[in-house]
Amino acid sequence: MSLKFNIDRPKVKDEEIKNQQDFKSLVDKFKQQSLKKAQGDESWWTNKIVRYSTVIAGITVICTITYFSLFNNQQTTKIKHEEKTTLSPLTKSNSQSTKTKFVQAPSSTLRRPYSTYTVNNAKGGKIIHPTASKISIPKNSFVDKNGKSIIGDVTIEYKEFHDVGDVIAEGIPMSYDSAGKKYSLETAGMFDIRGYQNGEPVYIAPNKNLNVELASANDANRFHQYYLDTNARNWNYLKHDVPVRIKKGEKEEAANLKKLQALQLEIEKVIPQKIDSVGIVYSHKAEKLPRAKEPVKPAKPSAGRPNFKLDGSYEEFPELAAFTNVLFEVGLENKNYSNDLHEITWSDVKISQGPVKGVNYVLSLSYRNRHEKLIVYPVLTGTEFDQARERYNAKFEIYRALVEKRTADEKHLMDEMAAKQAVYLAEQRRKQDEFEKEKAKLAESSNAVALNELSSNFNAMSIQVKAQRIFTVSKFGIFNSDCPHSLPEGKTVRPVFVLNEKDKPLQPDFIYMVDHAKKTVYTLDKQTGYSMVYDPNQQYSICIFKNNKLFICSKAMFKESAETDSNKFFVSPVLQGSDNLIDFKKALEI
Amino acid sequence: MAINPHFHHSDQQLKEELMVIEAAKLDPEQFGTLYEKYYKQIFNYVYQRMDSKDAAFDITGQVFLKAMTNLQKYEYKGVPFASWLYRIAHNEVMQLFRTQKNKRAINCDISDLRFICEEQETPFFEEYIPVVKKLIQELNQDDLHMVEMRFFEKRPFKEIADILDITEVNAKVRMYRIIEKLKKSISKIHV
Repeated sequence: MSLKFNIDRPKVKDEEIKNQQDFKSLVDKFKQQSLKKAQGDESWWTNKIVRYSTVIAGITVICTITYFSLFNNQQTTKIKHEEKTTLSPLTKSNSQSTKTKFVQAPSSTLRRPYSTYTVNNAKGGKIIHPTASKISIPKNSFVDKNGKSIIGDVTIEYKEFHDVGDVIAEGIPMSYDSAGKKYSLETAGMFDIRGYQNGEPVYIAPNKNLNVELASANDANRFHQYYLDTNARNWNYLKHDVPVRIKKGEKEEAANLKKLQALQLEIEKVIPQKIDSVGIVYSHKAEKLPRAKEPVKPAKPSAGRPNFKLDGSYEEFPELAAFTNVLFEVGLENKNYSNDLHEITWSDVKISQGPVKGVNYVLSLSYRNRHEKLIVYPVLTGTEFDQARERYNAKFEIYRALVEKRTADEKHLMDEMAAKQAVYLAEQRRKQDEFEKEKAKLAESSNAVALNELSSNFNAMSIQVKAQRIFTVSKFGIFNSDCPHSLPEGKTVRPVFVLNEKDKPLQPDFIYMVDHAKKTVYTLDKQTGYSMVYDPNQQYSICIFKNNKLFICSKAMFKESAETDSNKFFVSPVLQGSDNLIDFKKALEI
Repeated sequence: MAINPHFHHSDQQLKEELMVIEAAKLDPEQFGTLYEKYYKQIFNYVYQRMDSKDAAFDITGQVFLKAMTNLQKYEYKGVPFASWLYRIAHNEVMQLFRTQKNKRAINCDISDLRFICEEQETPFFEEYIPVVKKLIQELNQDDLHMVEMRFFEKRPFKEIADILDITEVNAKVRMYRIIEKLKKSISKIHV
């Protein structure tokens, strides 16, 4: 059983709990259950009339269902199909099957994996992707194939594509058919998003939208948003894409501010907490050190103070049990004492523990309706006092030794605690200095911020995030911020790819032509007869894949071949580049 | 640990509750009093062990339905009716984790983890959270249930004993053993 650990999860409000209470529905369920149970009872079934009636009713129902299913079969199929279409088409299996036809990666090793995130459907949440893109997911955004709200966590798979290298690696078609006219799309950023629970695809609820703030390296205002319809094999236009430009320096400033905040937290909260915690632990340890109990010093009767001599045993008080002639001297605190108390023959006398245990006692005197209470102190005379004094001296020596040991142990613990706390205090001072320096640095950089370029190395390339592109996502799939370009005009050739003059031409599995000026990629396929149209005045390069191996016709090689007026294009193998996206992009000169 | 006034009952309260239970055995509508009284407690108990709030509400409903269905089998043992409901809730939650492979969740506050550490005379720092979490995650289900009830839900031993249908002394002994086990591991965390 897997365990998930949540710390400081918000408590559910009483009001929400109250709202969920529904005793009426509970009783209804209980009644239904009881009825079912009763119907399942054998005594009910043994009733002949009921049994025959049920059999007849059952046959009638089966006949009716068969009749209607035969005559309405066609209609039912249609309804089922419509339901599927409404629920967004991207199931894992059908996306895979369409991908092999429409979205097909040329190399299994170039494709980057999806980033996965977990979101609780009831809570929703915000995902921040490493590229600084943000995905906002409202509460209860996901439903299952039956349209029922998902309970529990949903796994979001997310991947971004930012340039032609990413597009080729993923095998995403970039041609766009608008009213019969063909275009090629230049991307300002693209993403593929999908959701699953326990391996089963989930769908975005009909009344919900996810919000994706895609980090983009292009802040131009000429792009539009499209959704890749893998069934129609075309991009669907969504809307014009208005970029939200990121202010220069905003990111560094935020990072510096974050660092400052972290330092402040350390100085003001974390370290003081550590110091306190050490204090608590050592106080506990000190508390637990054995405490010596100071013996009570025996006393002689004070001159002029009244006392009582009592008959009886003191078994209840072991400290008095050893003595036979204990006197109880009346304490000065007894304001109710008068000499006449000695004149009365008390019918009931009791001695009990006084306010200070082992030191004084309460003497309760009763005669008829008169009751008196006195605080008394035991005093000893003669040899009993001497014996008690000796015993006291011995006990006091032990007590003194124990007190000394405790004091030493306490000091040792306190020294240890102070040493540990000193380490944290030093750390706190060091962090305070660091904080001051960072603060000064931030103030300085804020002035010069306009001069700094925002840089973020994301997507395995050094691309600067310049804008955010906001997508409203109502179904899973591939979304793109694109600018359509007309297809190149000029020379048309059917290229032949060779490694050198002597070798036989290669028979590529996939051919891509990169238009460096328009930042687009054209897929050469069977449908176009592998023909290639290019403008001789522009820069192109070609990459081909054969058996998962990559071959490149660089810009220079392309130009050379184009100038010879031949259809022969020389390519060279990229030995260590077919499984590494960064090297692949370098080889492609993008 | 503070006494839970919703769980602890005087003899008079127990007697009154028993009367309600007996009435509910004859008329399901009478169960409403018990439903109102214990719904929040049972929900909190279930949600404490789960990640999904919606699922916790579903399970709470199941617990009460099961309680109503099996009310005829309920035997009064001199403890609040809640202890019987807690046992049903525990079984339902565990059943869900077994059958639907839902994630068992542990929910606690940082102050609970701090308390566990400081009980063992080990200072608690936030950077120790992963270590303490791991120690708790490694406990077996029974021990984890005890730790949750004692440290995270702050239940007194009497209540834990009633829920687990064991004696209070037994509950204390079990907790002592778990603490000893934790102590060994926690003491390894350097001051």
